[in-house]
Amino acid sequence: MREDIVEALKNIVGDDWVVNNPEAVKSYLEDETEPGVKVEPAPATDVVVVKPVNAQEVSEILKLANREGVPVYVRGGGTGLACGCVPSKPGVVISMERMKEIEIDKENLMAVVGAGVTLGELLKAAAKEGFFFPPHPGDEGAQIGGLIACNAVGARAVRTGPMRNYVLGLEVVLPTGEILRLGGRLVKDNTGAGKLMHLFIGTEGILGVITKAVLRLSPQYKATATMVVPFNDRRACLNTVPEILQSGIIPLGIEYVQKKEVELTAKRLGLEWPSKEGEYYLLIMLAEFNEDTLYAQLEEIASICRKNGSLEPLLAETPEEQTNILKIRSEIYPTLKPYMEDSPDITVPPANIGKLIEELEKLERKYDIYIPLFGHAADGNLHPVIPVKEGWTKEQYEKLRMEMYQIAVKLGGVTTGEHGVGEARKKYLKLNLSNEAIETLRKIKKVLETTPSH
Amino acid sequence: MVFAEQHNGKIHPVTFELLSKGRELADRKEVELSSVILGHQIREEAKELIYYGADKVFIFDHPTLKEFDSILYKQNIVSLIREEKPEIVLIGATHLGRSLAPRIAAALNTGLTADCIDLQLDEDGELIQVRPAFTGNILAYIKTKTKPVMTTVRYKVFKARERDPMRKGEIIEKEVKVVEDTGTKILGKIPREAVNISDAGVVVAGGRGLRRPDDLKMLEELASLLGGVVGVSRPLVDEGWASKDRQVGFSGNIVKPKLYVAVGISGSPQHLAGMKDSEIVVAINVDPSAPIFNVADYGVVGDLYEVIPKPIEKIKLRKMKL
Amino acid sequence: MTDNEFHIVVLIKPVPDMEKVRFDVEKGVVDRSSAPLEINPFDLNALEAAVQIKEKLGGEVTAVSMAPPAAESVLRDAIARGADRAVLLTDRRFAGADTLATSYALASAIRKLGRFNLIICGEKTVDGDTGQVGPEVAEMLGIPHIAYVTEIREVTKEKLLVVSELGAPYLMELKLPGLITVTKDVNKPRLPTLKDKLKARKAKVEVWSADDLADVADVSRFGFSGSPTQVVKVLVPPMKKRRSQIFKGEDAVDKLIEALEMEGLLR
Repeated sequence: MREDIVEALKNIVGDDWVVNNPEAVKSYLEDETEPGVKVEPAPATDVVVVKPVNAQEVSEILKLANREGVPVYVRGGGTGLACGCVPSKPGVVISMERMKEIEIDKENLMAVVGAGVTLGELLKAAAKEGFFFPPHPGDEGAQIGGLIACNAVGARAVRTGPMRNYVLGLEVVLPTGEILRLGGRLVKDNTGAGKLMHLFIGTEGILGVITKAVLRLSPQYKATATMVVPFNDRRACLNTVPEILQSGIIPLGIEYVQKKEVELTAKRLGLEWPSKEGEYYLLIMLAEFNEDTLYAQLEEIASICRKNGSLEPLLAETPEEQTNILKIRSEIYPTLKPYMEDSPDITVPPANIGKLIEELEKLERKYDIYIPLFGHAADGNLHPVIPVKEGWTKEQYEKLRMEMYQIAVKLGGVTTGEHGVGEARKKYLKLNLSNEAIETLRKIKKVLETTPSH
Repeated sequence: MVFAEQHNGKIHPVTFELLSKGRELADRKEVELSSVILGHQIREEAKELIYYGADKVFIFDHPTLKEFDSILYKQNIVSLIREEKPEIVLIGATHLGRSLAPRIAAALNTGLTADCIDLQLDEDGELIQVRPAFTGNILAYIKTKTKPVMTTVRYKVFKARERDPMRKGEIIEKEVKVVEDTGTKILGKIPREAVNISDAGVVVAGGRGLRRPDDLKMLEELASLLGGVVGVSRPLVDEGWASKDRQVGFSGNIVKPKLYVAVGISGSPQHLAGMKDSEIVVAINVDPSAPIFNVADYGVVGDLYEVIPKPIEKIKLRKMKL
Repeated sequence: MTDNEFHIVVLIKPVPDMEKVRFDVEKGVVDRSSAPLEINPFDLNALEAAVQIKEKLGGEVTAVSMAPPAAESVLRDAIARGADRAVLLTDRRFAGADTLATSYALASAIRKLGRFNLIICGEKTVDGDTGQVGPEVAEMLGIPHIAYVTEIREVTKEKLLVVSELGAPYLMELKLPGLITVTKDVNKPRLPTLKDKLKARKAKVEVWSADDLADVADVSRFGFSGSPTQVVKVLVPPMKKRRSQIFKGEDAVDKLIEALEMEGLLR
């Protein structure tokens, strides 16, 4: 990296917060993307890491990068699955880790958080004041800025949806250095600002750098439970999900997992998978304000499950038991990672999940391969794993991946429901978006990148 | 009175720490400090209790006392306490101590405070026992209205005084009350299995800063010199350099050692979640802005390959001298 | 229950969820309304151990607690997890008990229950963290105990073969009747089924007052009046501050070694 740029960065944030020792830079080059689609980062010697502490410093860094024509890569917790933060070309990595401001606004049921606050830190701070924050994409080391930029979802989104639904205000730095403050501690904001804000949610940072956010919190639920429902039949298991939703009960989350994967994961974590019966499981997370309502819902859901052939459900109620189940669920992905080439994030309309399974089973037969499967059943979002298979070439993996994507699209779905596009999956964007739509995004980006004339 | 815990005739170091605190309390109250030891062929070891501060040592020496038996130990100590009437009884808050002390307290129908981290005297000379409660969120100051005041004290909170082999004191052999069958029996010791880094007192952990799997050996050397074990961050487990049972972090083991040395670990939130409650954190990293330094007590910004050999040399040299 | 049936008593403490509970610094007490009560996590292992033994030897498992009336739900949870019977000691006169008075009340209740072969407790509670009640109860009942049991190897109606952690793991034998306290390593508690949970919601918890124990106990030894230890002051320790001494440059390592020696860490 050019010495003058390193010096200029040091002038902005101070000597201590610029990292260009290649040994140290190594820690900022990768994220959690699957090996098969991973983008190779630029050499550590060509990358400099800078750690600004506020929007003003971010603004100056962006202006500098613009002036010098150097690419910038914004890095949060590094937990992404699309190489969104990977410096694929020589450039500047902006690590948000120092933006740790966190304020719980009890009166308004909101939190004001810096982009670098991790999900784990937010959950803890919120719990301390009696609040709860539902979105949970698995790794609690994910940072708020990244969660918003990628519109993260995860396991507890059936009732209240993705990250977008929790964002009330944003501080964003535009590529040209202007700092925008949009929305705020408002539940409603129908001015232009409130609408403009949504442009920056889920666009993976291509339109600006999120530095701070106002988030909506949920009160702590008095009665919560996670029900583990075992099934011997996979399709029966998944076909139960739309029926539960149609019954009018909207759980916090409904997850689908399979015996092979959860037992492997539990073993790795030193835990034990609670159910000894069945091969396929629904994990149904419920949260209510009193126990009677909770149990009424549990009984109703259980009777739907039994009608579809489930075995006797198990019930986790203590925080530790529920946490352990969520932990096993969250850690399936990292457990399988050493054995996986890729794990497409395909998403179809919730009612089509049964059809999706049928198609995936056909692929298993066609390719003579076991496809580990888990995901957010009620969102129609599954993560079939493309396992590493001896003797397979890149082309064979690519063929299987494309088939999975095409199935999703054919069933009215998309190639990614939550992991995003990033650098790793840009080439598949065309399967979802028309040329006109992609062009429109480009135009918007272009406008935001143009330095204002005043 | 200080209970001297011994295993195979070797006195547990918490005993010396208790003697040191006991000495201080006894001097301020102007009373004697006694100690009691139970075991078999422990007369030589009993002298150590005097060297570390006891005025009087009561010995119960008998083959049946060679290994711990909660009922036998309790009976002999209870009768000694009834005779000697000490004001305060201190017992180490080890597993053995915490199994034994409640039986004694219940037999004497007196108060017992667990796992204290400080002992003070108030203006009336009454013992104030300080212990953490609610997972360390609060400190409770506790007084006992019955006598003796009984307390178990956490290991490694008080410093043992210097051993003084010139120190004089009285050793009193007591008659042992033997019970044929107490209902419990030790059948044997079991070799400890796999490393348990969650319980280790010292953890030396390596991360992405290491260049080769072989370099973990260097950390192993440092760890064993410090009496600890080696841990790793997640990337090393993912790379297959170390087994999962060594992983420190949210998805691995949560550790709370007295000393945590993070070597070439930048400090991802996932890692910090597994070690942030360590008592003292030392970080060695080339990156001065690595988040690990935010939770470190001491840190060195530098190349771990230059840093680590130095303390290894230093400790080795010291051990050779001893 | 017939006379030769194996009878296990499990001592259970209802505790607040430690993640959520708040402490009222001014009043010096725990804000009980801040978190719901649950079974002390270590007691779940005790209950699981009891149920596993019952599955082998037959008989009956009784859960006993001393707690405020709100703890009934916790005992119902114990029933869902396999206890056949649950007894809750609840009375103002039990309040303010330290470990000695708690042990006395629990030991009295066990005496009142009559026959027992084995008593199982968790190694400690997450709120009190003393680990004293088990051995104290054993002493008061005049039975042997083994604490910190990490593994139960064999069990018959006459004796138990266990592994106990006493600084090192020991293989030990316990003659019954006796008491053990178990660690988290002893087993992995199973999840209750929804069916058992629903059934337990309607189950009856026997509630005993201090007077109900008058025939087997001296009621003045219950609660605050029977407690020799008293909390005179409560402090919230200052947040632990890291020393944050980061050394750079040539003599950085020497400075580090010096600092660690000062801390006594290089011994």
